[in-house]
Amino acid sequence: MRERKIKLVLVLTGSIFMLLFCLAPFLYMISASLSSNQYFLSTQGFFEITLENYRAILTAPSLHFIDYLRNSLIVSSATAVLTIFVASLAAYCVTRLAMPGKIFILFSVLAVSMFPQISLISYLFKFMAGLGWVNTYAALILPYIAWTLPLSLWILVSYFMQIPQDLDKAALIDGCSRWQILRKVIFPVAAPGIISTTLLAFIFAFNEFMFALMLTTDYHARTIPVGIALFQGLHGQTPWGNIMAASTFSTLPLVILTLVFQRRIIQGLTRGALKG
Amino acid sequence: MKGYNRKEIKESSLFLLPLLLFVSAFILIPVIGTMIDSTFLDVAFLKKRFSGLDNYRWMIRSPGFWQSVRFTLLFVMVSVPLEMILGLIFALLLNEPTPARGILRASVLVPWAIPAAVSARTWELIYNYNYGLANFVWRKLGFSAEPINWLGSEFGAFASLVIADTWKTTPFVAIILLAGISAIPGELHSQAKVDGASLFQRFAKITLPLIKPALMVALIFRTIDALRIFDIIYVLTRGGPGGATTSLSLYGYNYFLIGDFGYGSAVSAVLFGVALMLSIAYMKIGRFGEELK
Repeated sequence: MRERKIKLVLVLTGSIFMLLFCLAPFLYMISASLSSNQYFLSTQGFFEITLENYRAILTAPSLHFIDYLRNSLIVSSATAVLTIFVASLAAYCVTRLAMPGKIFILFSVLAVSMFPQISLISYLFKFMAGLGWVNTYAALILPYIAWTLPLSLWILVSYFMQIPQDLDKAALIDGCSRWQILRKVIFPVAAPGIISTTLLAFIFAFNEFMFALMLTTDYHARTIPVGIALFQGLHGQTPWGNIMAASTFSTLPLVILTLVFQRRIIQGLTRGALKG
Repeated sequence: MKGYNRKEIKESSLFLLPLLLFVSAFILIPVIGTMIDSTFLDVAFLKKRFSGLDNYRWMIRSPGFWQSVRFTLLFVMVSVPLEMILGLIFALLLNEPTPARGILRASVLVPWAIPAAVSARTWELIYNYNYGLANFVWRKLGFSAEPINWLGSEFGAFASLVIADTWKTTPFVAIILLAGISAIPGELHSQAKVDGASLFQRFAKITLPLIKPALMVALIFRTIDALRIFDIIYVLTRGGPGGATTSLSLYGYNYFLIGDFGYGSAVSAVLFGVALMLSIAYMKIGRFGEELK
């Protein structure tokens, strides 16, 4: 059949283009990190594999890569855990409890998630500077929680809505408090949703750039995105090998995590944007 | 109040309190603070004083402001349609039950997972004049022997940013649209096929109309996101050459950086106003929360 042939050709060329498009920059990042020189694609270039770049970023304290990585892991994990805690309390209320104006709150929170970050940073900077918190973990974690809450709330609401209300009612009759119901009934049943939301909150916090740029000044609190963006060589020339090794080393775990949980992440992203 | 009991309202408030505290303290109050600051002459080391709409007057007379408005709008108008079209193609491919579907699904998430500021560093190397991947491919394809000055020329810098942003954000569009496409019942297509509709007719008459809500959601999400573009510009061009790629976010940021908080706040307030209008449109279109009522 002619139509099937046309479709086959379209799908085949499309898939090849899509694979190249999505993976080429990432594979280029990895190859540049493994190359002994950065000129390997120039006309007189040659490619020679070495782990020297990785050794440099992992052992040279002056590059502070380990510091950035540690800061990112601490800030993102703390953000993810606290966001889920706050968001699930609110999601429970929105889906289970009667209260005037809760729909309005849900909408307002959604609108908040679309604010440009630039409209917050000068005030946040003054606020944190006033407390003497600039360049501390708290200066990042607190705004990050607020920043990742809207998405987390919307995803959790869509998961909580699917849990039958009868479960709550039975537990209420058994004398459980609302808090106990959330912990002992909702959390276990909604575990897949909680996991995907935690992951998304972690990735959002890990990827954040502008707050971290404005609210950190050096390696004591600076995170991976800012650390790598501002990574400069000591001798004028950009150390591309080191930068690419740092990029690969810090994003490879993220990419693997994403691939392992791809179904959950796709589900979470869709639920955050389109209603359940 | 009818239908509400006091105990439940009290409990509800407790459950909502942490959320409201965080959002107020770190988002709402900062935005209001920015609005107020925009009516002050607020420059580091000078005495802060009320100046009414002076910052806004300076802004509309500043060529730099209009240059960044022009760039930001042009960037949105070029990159968002490109991301939508490519995202739609990717979503259609992801929906095909081919043996490659698993690997396609995995690879589409790779650009999304890597922080924009980090992948922008890779793009910086890709666009390197002497040994970057872009000029290597350009040479191999035989377009011209002369390498392209990607980041140094006005047009090159614009194209570079559009490509890097498209790479990073198309996956998001594809995932949103995939949800819309996979919700279309298969019988619709097989029935139309029996009636003799071609592949393209079925796409135009069945798929496109049915995924309209998903298309609108992706379109508005992407538009708001592209309007506030910052990370990749900060890394790739820092607004250059000669301010040609300074987005509104970067324009405002540059004023914060030199300590002019009043003027920077006025720029931020304008961007905020535009984003707010778009997100209200978004919620009207999405008709969210209907099933909660």
